[in-house]
Amino acid sequence: MITPRELRRTMSDLHLELNNVSKRFGGLQAVDHVSFTVTEPELIGMIGPNGAGKTTLTNLMSGMLKPSSGTIYLNGRRIDGHPPYDVTRAGLGRTFQITRALGRMTVMENMMVPGLAHNPRGGRADLEARAHEILDLLTIDHLTNELSRALSGGQRKLLELGRLLMLDPAVIILDEPFAGVHPRLQDTITNYINRVYENGKAIMFISHNMGAVFELSQRLIVLHHGAVIADGAPQAVRNDPAVIDAYLGHDEDD
Amino acid sequence: MMIFRRFESAIDQGIGRRKLGYLVLVLVVLFFLWFPNDASQSNYTKTVFISGFFYAIMSSSWALLAGIAGQFSFGHMAFMGIGAYAAGLIARDGITFAMLGLSIGPETISAFGAIIIGTIAAGAVGLVIGWLLLRLRAAYLALFTIAFSELFRIMMLTEYDYTGGSNGLSLRPLLQIEDVDAARQVEYYLMFGLLIVCLFALYRVANSPIGLFLRAMREDEDAASALGVNVVRYKILVFVFTSMIVGFAGAIFYSDVGSERIIPEQLEILQMSLIIAYAVIGGMESLIGAAAGAFISRYLLEAMRQVVITLPFGMTTYDGSDAFVWEPGYWRFALFGVVMVFTLRYMRNGLLYPIITWFSERDIAMKETVSRRESDDDHAARIEADDE
Repeated sequence: MITPRELRRTMSDLHLELNNVSKRFGGLQAVDHVSFTVTEPELIGMIGPNGAGKTTLTNLMSGMLKPSSGTIYLNGRRIDGHPPYDVTRAGLGRTFQITRALGRMTVMENMMVPGLAHNPRGGRADLEARAHEILDLLTIDHLTNELSRALSGGQRKLLELGRLLMLDPAVIILDEPFAGVHPRLQDTITNYINRVYENGKAIMFISHNMGAVFELSQRLIVLHHGAVIADGAPQAVRNDPAVIDAYLGHDEDD
Repeated sequence: MMIFRRFESAIDQGIGRRKLGYLVLVLVVLFFLWFPNDASQSNYTKTVFISGFFYAIMSSSWALLAGIAGQFSFGHMAFMGIGAYAAGLIARDGITFAMLGLSIGPETISAFGAIIIGTIAAGAVGLVIGWLLLRLRAAYLALFTIAFSELFRIMMLTEYDYTGGSNGLSLRPLLQIEDVDAARQVEYYLMFGLLIVCLFALYRVANSPIGLFLRAMREDEDAASALGVNVVRYKILVFVFTSMIVGFAGAIFYSDVGSERIIPEQLEILQMSLIIAYAVIGGMESLIGAAAGAFISRYLLEAMRQVVITLPFGMTTYDGSDAFVWEPGYWRFALFGVVMVFTLRYMRNGLLYPIITWFSERDIAMKETVSRRESDDDHAARIEADDE
């Protein structure tokens, strides 16, 4: 699982920086001057009510959307507005809220796409061996030759997580990794998140599952109406009046 | 069924399906190499084969574009036409670069040189069209390419001073062979060789990492992009590549190899639909399947112009003959339509797909996974959990 390359990855070559990132859809301010930095391997939970701008922010970071204003740097490279494949190669990988398995391709082919895209000269045999290791960690190694559309919803989630590791990204954003998965699968995913974190990567996960978020995260970023209203240790954030207001307050009903 | 199972296991234990598949392929190639030497075959049959090879190139390259890369284009015939028309016009009129003050007379351009220029022209237009199509998917892409294809056809039809309008345009003959039989022989081998070369090139692309990226793009462009695939580059690349292949094939075919002139009628939507139909019947995700589908369909459509049915049990027709001659005319296209409807409803991967899968051993891999999955209790539990 742990390759020498991953071991060599020191904390210093991890630096994600968002400066006043905003996104406007017509009259809607979806993301409003968001700034934060990630400089070390961390488990970051990102929460916020529906429509708070979590997924939009993910799309901005991963290059699916262009910010209206603001800049995003990853390891010294400016990545905002760059196409997704470029952002991915720069070291930021993501999953999707609704899984996007490449349906009429086998599980192994799903793994080889990022493998070969990221590492075109890496031998097929080496990449396949690596894919097997990752699939084994995710407990879906026995499905290698299966078409990914034949997989269950949970298995597709695992496959998406596995594909990310083939890219060897410095920062991983997981959009709703626990949505609609069985507790047993949740353990596999939690295990995955911890293992990847131990390999020196920053993981940001968006989730509605408060239990999992509080249990797993070391840092919590709370979005509300597109803006960051709290950023800090989970316990501190939990007692933050602005957060309580956003979650329990009256403007939910407006 | 029992006999087949026994045969199957004998093959699996013997030379293996994959090797048998290659063997069959070699035999097919040898048959086609031998065929024109069969003295009993008429030039007419050879002509049918030559056009069969041409349509096999068209369908298999379309299979790469639509079946593998997911770009359901109706512009394939137009790109072929661009290759043929550009080659024809340049061989006749030469090129003048007014801005550079440079003029190349037609006499300095050889037939093959014109074909190369036609190929480049098709590739260049493919580049522009590929770029314009970047943001279009599925139905919108199909509509755009229909419009483009019609636009090109009408241009060729309208500018009759240059293109000959509906009479078509003669290209400079590629081969100069006086003897008709010998010429047909050479044309046959030329077109067959071209098919082999094109299939090989398409196959190499489809089985390279590029082929994998193209399939990823077909499945989900956004996901492919998020996995590090430069979707823009591969989308344009596949248009340029397939356009050049059909541009090249078209320029050669209409340089008096398979046909003496290119006519705008050839660029109609109906003709394009036939290319698609051949590929669908053969299997649009398989290059060999699409090529075989095109060749067999062309051959059957031609053979069915006149069907002689010999009556059994000594029965005779009213005029005392023991055979009944059926000339289906346009009905054969209707029959062809029925085959296509059947294919789409029951065998969406094409009629040849089961055969190709069997030879490629893909179904063995599938069976293994299924049995491994069944033996895995943990998996069963998880499936149950997912179902809840």
